[in-house]
Amino acid sequence: MTSPPGNSTEIDSSRADFTPVTDKALAALPLERGAASSVALEGITKSYGPVTAIRDLTLEARAGEFLVLLGPSGCGKTTALRLVAGLEDPTSGTVRIGGRVVNDVDAKDRDVAMVFQSYALYPHLSVGRNIEFPLRARQVPASQRRQLVATVAESLRLEQLLDRKPAQLSGGQRQRVALARAIVRRPRAFLMDEPLSNLDAQLRVQMRAELVELHTRVDITILYVTHDQVEAMTMGQRIAILNEGVLQQLDTPEAVYRRPANAFVAGFVGSPPMNILRGRAVAEDDALWVAVPGGRVGLSPPLVRAVEDRALREVVVGLRPEALSLDPNGTIAAAVSLVELVGHEQHVALRLPGGQLVWIRMGSEAPRMRTGQDVRIAATGTVHLFDPQTGNLIEVGNE
Amino acid sequence: MGARHRARGAHARQRPQSRPLRKAGAAYLFVLPALVAFGVFVFYPLVKTAYLGFFTSPPAPNLPSHYVGLTQYRAVLSSSDFLDSLWRTVQFVLYTVPAGIVLGIGLAMLANQRLAGIRIFRTIYSSTVATSAAVAAVIFFTLLNPQVGLLSYWLGRKGGSGVLQSSSLALPAVSVVTIWQNIGFTFILMSAALQSVPDDLLEAARVDGASSWLRFRSVTIPLLSPMIFFTTIVGVIGGFQSFGQIDILTQGGPNNHTLLLIYDLYQQAFKYDNTGYAAVLSVALFGILLLLTFMQFWFFQRRVFYAR
Repeated sequence: MTSPPGNSTEIDSSRADFTPVTDKALAALPLERGAASSVALEGITKSYGPVTAIRDLTLEARAGEFLVLLGPSGCGKTTALRLVAGLEDPTSGTVRIGGRVVNDVDAKDRDVAMVFQSYALYPHLSVGRNIEFPLRARQVPASQRRQLVATVAESLRLEQLLDRKPAQLSGGQRQRVALARAIVRRPRAFLMDEPLSNLDAQLRVQMRAELVELHTRVDITILYVTHDQVEAMTMGQRIAILNEGVLQQLDTPEAVYRRPANAFVAGFVGSPPMNILRGRAVAEDDALWVAVPGGRVGLSPPLVRAVEDRALREVVVGLRPEALSLDPNGTIAAAVSLVELVGHEQHVALRLPGGQLVWIRMGSEAPRMRTGQDVRIAATGTVHLFDPQTGNLIEVGNE
Repeated sequence: MGARHRARGAHARQRPQSRPLRKAGAAYLFVLPALVAFGVFVFYPLVKTAYLGFFTSPPAPNLPSHYVGLTQYRAVLSSSDFLDSLWRTVQFVLYTVPAGIVLGIGLAMLANQRLAGIRIFRTIYSSTVATSAAVAAVIFFTLLNPQVGLLSYWLGRKGGSGVLQSSSLALPAVSVVTIWQNIGFTFILMSAALQSVPDDLLEAARVDGASSWLRFRSVTIPLLSPMIFFTTIVGVIGGFQSFGQIDILTQGGPNNHTLLLIYDLYQQAFKYDNTGYAAVLSVALFGILLLLTFMQFWFFQRRVFYAR
């Protein structure tokens, strides 16, 4: 996976400090190849009275896929997950698991496992009994239950904790118990609702890697809900981005980053976010420019064609922070507003004359800038052209 | 916190003794009012009652009572009258407490549904809290009246001996009235406990494949267990002390079939002026309840789950 610079470094660092799950135990996991099923939502709408949480949503996680549902809070992604689990009924549309319509199948018979944001561990049961619970619910014989619990506990390094109560565990341990409880019974799909959001930053990076590791070694379908675009980018094979109950884009992390379907996706994925600038198309110095506050942005031939074909007067352009750089001869004037040093790089927020903030990404070796300092910037990377009315992507121009 | 510790340490070095003493003095001062109240209204009567048990009451008023030591205790506690009324009381508690808790949980589960108009049912279910034992008893006394009672009519016992006049049905009937009267209280407690069971635990159990019965047994009941424990203790004590409904419905009859310990005690003390006998019953009741409560604590200790 070739990821943009900011994210690839994060993947590498997370993989480096992560203790791999023992191979032997994983090989013995009770999950058979082929147990994983596809999960599909077809034309799903979910309303609560006058409020529509999800509008005509169609998406499919293929069997064995790691699909991430990404979006801001309240976008309907958790509702989508609960619809798959059977904890909510769709107002209209079809839910399929493994090709079979499950609209009328009760949650307990859908054979999916869910990891809740709160982990939802049974507080009165020991870790061992927690993991065993789904097997008990399915009347698996006791001897087999013990064996399965022991195997899963070993693979998730929980053997020492089996007699503890959830209250006696750390956040990371609880997280692993929740995973163990989900994995122990070979479900058709894993539904995960922000499972890492209650962990501290360091542990989150580690668990991220462990989950990806688990997915690459065992054939499981994972539907993973998060509002954290870094989690989505680093973990998902594909990402479905939702906003206000509507699917914005469903594609690989790379495609979502390089060709965001619209200005919302462009602004949501990537940190710092893509800079969206609104301006007028102007012909100056024998070329077509976009006049923005503080200066102008040049357009590459494909973008010029796109603007001319549509006879656009107003233009919306998007520039990733790495597509802008400081340049004494740059075409845009701005003032330094904020400098964030994040170790290997700096994120600098610049204020344009109109008041809008623009982020640029710089190496950590570049000299620190003073707040208030006047600078000039140049567009040196990819420019995304968006429709000024709909916000949809028109064209991506590479310099 | 650290700063406070240091400050206290410095203070203690200057005046090593005075501070703890003064603190203790203040503490006793604060406890004193409660101690006095308890002493006058609880401890003194308790001791005095136990003491009264050493005396037999005179056959007629204004005659001196006789000191008999432990003889009266031995005689009363081994008498068939006492053992019979104790057994009836145990039966009464066994009829009322478990049934009350089961019904309370059942109604709380029903009223916990998200349905239109459910508040009306919540109000109805909890309404008996606002009903005194006397009112409840009078209502049922009328309903069970052999001549005009609606319940008697439905039970096909019109005319002749009514339910309350039947030696086999009087105690169950009184028990039903008691259950009815306590249901509101149990319902409110169980509803409160039920609301504190997190939804996502029940949802997790559902996704884990648990049937509604398993969810109830393995998730809901354990999380309700502190409240079940509390209700059991309070219910057993309340059951042993039931008086009002007996007094209004049956006065211990027919033929002593609803003569519970406390009613026996009341009759001995205030009807027959047999103070010594009643004192022995009081002490016995106290001892029995103390023992039962300890036993319940011991029984529930390993079975109750307290969330941290």
